[in-house]
Amino acid sequence: MLKPGLGLAILLMLLAAVAVPVFLLQASIPFWQAAGISSIWSSEWYPYEQLYGLLPAIIGTSWAILISLAIAIPCSVAAAIAASEMLPPMLAEKARIGMEVLAGIPSIVYGLIGLWVLLPLLQSSLDLLTGHSLLAAGLMLALMILPTIMLMTMDALQQVPADQREAGLSLGLDWTAQLTRILLPAAWPGIRSGILLSLGRALGETMAVMLVVGSMDRLPQPVYNILQPAQTLTSRIGREIGEAAFGSIHFSSLMAAGLMLAIMGLSISLLANKRP
Amino acid sequence: MAKFPWMKFAILAVALPALTLPVACFSYIVWQGLPSLNWQIFSGQGMSGFGLENGLYGQLTGSLLLMLGAAAIAAPVAIGTALFSRLYLNNRLRTHIITLLHLMQGIPPIVYGLCGLVVFVHILHWGISLLAGMLILAIIIMPVLVLNSLHALERIPLEHTEAASSLGLTDAQLIYRVWLPEAWPAMLTGLLLGMARALSETAPILFTATVFSGVIWPESLFEPVTSLQTHIFYLAQEGANAQVVGIAWGAATLLIGLILLFSSSALLLRRMDKRQRIGP
Repeated sequence: MLKPGLGLAILLMLLAAVAVPVFLLQASIPFWQAAGISSIWSSEWYPYEQLYGLLPAIIGTSWAILISLAIAIPCSVAAAIAASEMLPPMLAEKARIGMEVLAGIPSIVYGLIGLWVLLPLLQSSLDLLTGHSLLAAGLMLALMILPTIMLMTMDALQQVPADQREAGLSLGLDWTAQLTRILLPAAWPGIRSGILLSLGRALGETMAVMLVVGSMDRLPQPVYNILQPAQTLTSRIGREIGEAAFGSIHFSSLMAAGLMLAIMGLSISLLANKRP
Repeated sequence: MAKFPWMKFAILAVALPALTLPVACFSYIVWQGLPSLNWQIFSGQGMSGFGLENGLYGQLTGSLLLMLGAAAIAAPVAIGTALFSRLYLNNRLRTHIITLLHLMQGIPPIVYGLCGLVVFVHILHWGISLLAGMLILAIIIMPVLVLNSLHALERIPLEHTEAASSLGLTDAQLIYRVWLPEAWPAMLTGLLLGMARALSETAPILFTATVFSGVIWPESLFEPVTSLQTHIFYLAQEGANAQVVGIAWGAATLLIGLILLFSSSALLLRRMDKRQRIGP
C-alpha cells in the first residue's frame, strides 16, 4: 500500500520532467519546418511577413547577461569579502540576513524600479530618447543577481578550513596574500556555482527585462551599441505570446525561442553540476 | 609592512554599491508604497478604472489562491518522491534523480509557462484558468521541495533508522514514527520557501492564469483570476497617471510583505531547527 502510493508521486514528478521538453519540441516543430534552422542566425523579425530571425533576441540576451555579470561579479565578491573577512561576525550575520531578504524581492518589483527610477536616470544622464536599452536591462539584472553571488561567496569563504587559514598566517602571509593565495582559491568552487546559478537566473529573467529593454526587434547598430532599445529572448516571448494565435507559425516560433532558452539553461546547470 | 595597503580600500570601494544599492531599492519601494496602503486600497471605495473598482482585494485573493494551490499540489508529490527514493532506490539511482532535479531547476520559469500554455490552456481546453496557473507554479517549485526533503531525510542519523529496523518497524511505521518527527522542520522550511517563490513568479502565470480585471473570487478552478504580480505589470504600463503609480508601489509593498512573511518564517524555522532539534 505504501510503495505504490509513493511510487505514484515519483511517477508524477518524472512525468512532469519528461513532458516539458517533449511538448516544447512538439510545439516548435512547425516553426523549424517552415523557417528552418537558418533563422537562428538571420536578423529580420517581422511575424506578419513570415520573417522569423532569432539573431537580434539572441544577441540582446547575450549582451544583457554580459553586462550584468561584468558588474555583479566584482561587486558581489568584493562585498562578500568585506562582509566575511573585514566586518565583525555579528555584523556579517546581519548583512547575510539582509541579503537573504533582498534575494526574495520579486522581479516584477525590480521592473517597477527599473521603469520609474533607472530609466529617467539613464535618459537624463546619457541624453537618450527614453532610456530603454540593453544597458538598463543589464543593470537591472546585475541588481537582481548581486545577493545570490554574494551569499554563495560568503558561504564558501566561511567554509574554508581553519587550519588552512592558520597555515597561511604561520607562513607570514599578509592580508592580501592570504586572500589571493589561500582564501579565494579554496572558495572558488562555491563562487563558481554562485556565478553559474545567477547566470541561469539572468538568462531566464522576464518581467524586469521586458519592462526596460524597449522591445525593438532589430540588431543593435553597430552591434556593440548597448544604448539602443533592443529585445531579448524572454522579453520577446513575454510581449508577443498574448497576440500569437495557437497553431500559427508565430506561436511556434515563440515556442522555439523557449526551446533555445531551455537548452541554454540546461547547459548552464549541467556545467554547474559537473564538479571542476 | 603590507605589500598592498590599498587592497582593503579597493575592495571596500567596489563592495560599497553591492552593499548599499539593494538596501536603497528596498527602502525606496517601502517609502513609496506605504503611504498608499490604506483601507481604501483594499475596499476600493472611491476608486475607478485600471481594474481597481474593488481595490486590491481580488488581486490579493488571486495571488494567495495560486500559491496555496501550487503548494497543495507540489508538497505531496515532492515528499512522496523524496520518501520513495530514500526507501526504495539505491545510491546511484538517487544521484540520477538529484541530477534530474538540478536540471529542472535550470530551465527558466517562463519556459514552464509556455509548456503550460500549450498543454493545459490549449490541448486540454481549460482556457486561461486558475488550475493551469496552480499546476505550472507547482512544477516550478517542485525541484526545490524534493531537494529540500531529500536533504532533510539524509541528515537523519543512520543509527535511528537502523534501531527502528531492528525493532521490527514496518516502512510506514519508520516514516511516521522516526523520519517525519525528525525531518518535518526542514521539510516545512522548504515548503515555505517554495510558497514565497510561487508568490514572486510573474511571467509564467501572465498568459496562462490571470486576466486584467473583473474577478474577485473565481467561480471554479477553470476560471481566470487576477493577481498582485500581474496587476503590478499592467499598472507599470500606465506610468503617466500619478494615482496609478501610487497604487502600483502600494501593491509592490504588499507583495514584498507577503513574500517576506513566508521567507522570514522559513529562515526563522531553519535557525531554530539548527540550534535545537525541534520534536522528540
